[in-house]
Amino acid sequence: MAGGLVHPLLISTKLGMDEAVIGGQTVEFKHIFYTWFAIGILSVLGLVVKRRLKMVPTGAQNVLEVMVDGLESFIINIMGESGRRYVPFLCCLFVYILCMNLMGLVPGFDAPTANLNTTAAMAVLVFLYYNFLGLKSWGPKYIKHFSGPMPALVPLMLPIEIISHLARPLSLMLRLFGNIRGEELILVLFFSLAPLFATLPVYFLFGLAKMLQAFIFFLLTMLYIRGALEHAH
Amino acid sequence: MKDFFKKRAPRDSVLPYAFSRAGTIGLHMVSGVMAGFLIGYWLDKWLGTSPWLKLVFFVLGVAGGFRNVYLDAKILLKEQDAKNVGDTETKG
Repeated sequence: MAGGLVHPLLISTKLGMDEAVIGGQTVEFKHIFYTWFAIGILSVLGLVVKRRLKMVPTGAQNVLEVMVDGLESFIINIMGESGRRYVPFLCCLFVYILCMNLMGLVPGFDAPTANLNTTAAMAVLVFLYYNFLGLKSWGPKYIKHFSGPMPALVPLMLPIEIISHLARPLSLMLRLFGNIRGEELILVLFFSLAPLFATLPVYFLFGLAKMLQAFIFFLLTMLYIRGALEHAH
Repeated sequence: MKDFFKKRAPRDSVLPYAFSRAGTIGLHMVSGVMAGFLIGYWLDKWLGTSPWLKLVFFVLGVAGGFRNVYLDAKILLKEQDAKNVGDTETKG
């Protein structure tokens, strides 16, 4: 942990997965371990729910159906009917980030999103994906998204637009990383001050904040995809 | 849980939705400046023209950050307009 704060209990430390040797180099492996854990949780949940689907949902199926249904209607509300194609990607992003964020609140676990590498990977994926979608639907005309409204101003607007597009993955990755890392640090700090007594009240607040961060990442991705697909200006 | 997502439609100005939109605007401006400065920094290192490209791309980055905020504001305004139209339609 940064700032000399030591996490009180981590199962990755117990299992010796904090660091791994890849190609003769020792690299930090903690966040990848917990990322795999999140993927495992979501996969198992999905498989278990899929195996006994019912017309009248109960238990876990109910929760997942409400979540996916709510997200889908939200996406279609904003993107229109053509947004239905991007529901799987966006829902997956939201559920995955939410799972990783909330892992930080479970004792013994750390949030993988508290590491810049995890959030950078997702932000770069989003950046490449929405540009790919824009290129696919507009072809060479996609450059119009970058050239501004007036032909005379193209030499000025082109670098500005490119920089403002490059700023998007940067802000996505820094926002998620900063918020989650800050919350993790505060939790560890509070735990070292007064175990349980100080940490339990902030759990509620941080649970909401982590949900909000996952939602913001999802929302911005959706807005970027919509921006790449609709007419320039 | 159902209401939690359903009520976040853009036409209803619900607090969490508005909060997340407003919360993103600040970092959008800053990250434009950062992206511009980093590009200038790397170009300077590569071409050995310090500090000129840094300055140029810094200014461009400020403009890019403003551009992002402008786009955000435009989207918010459009949603607000759509909401107002919807309100008058239901009232009238």
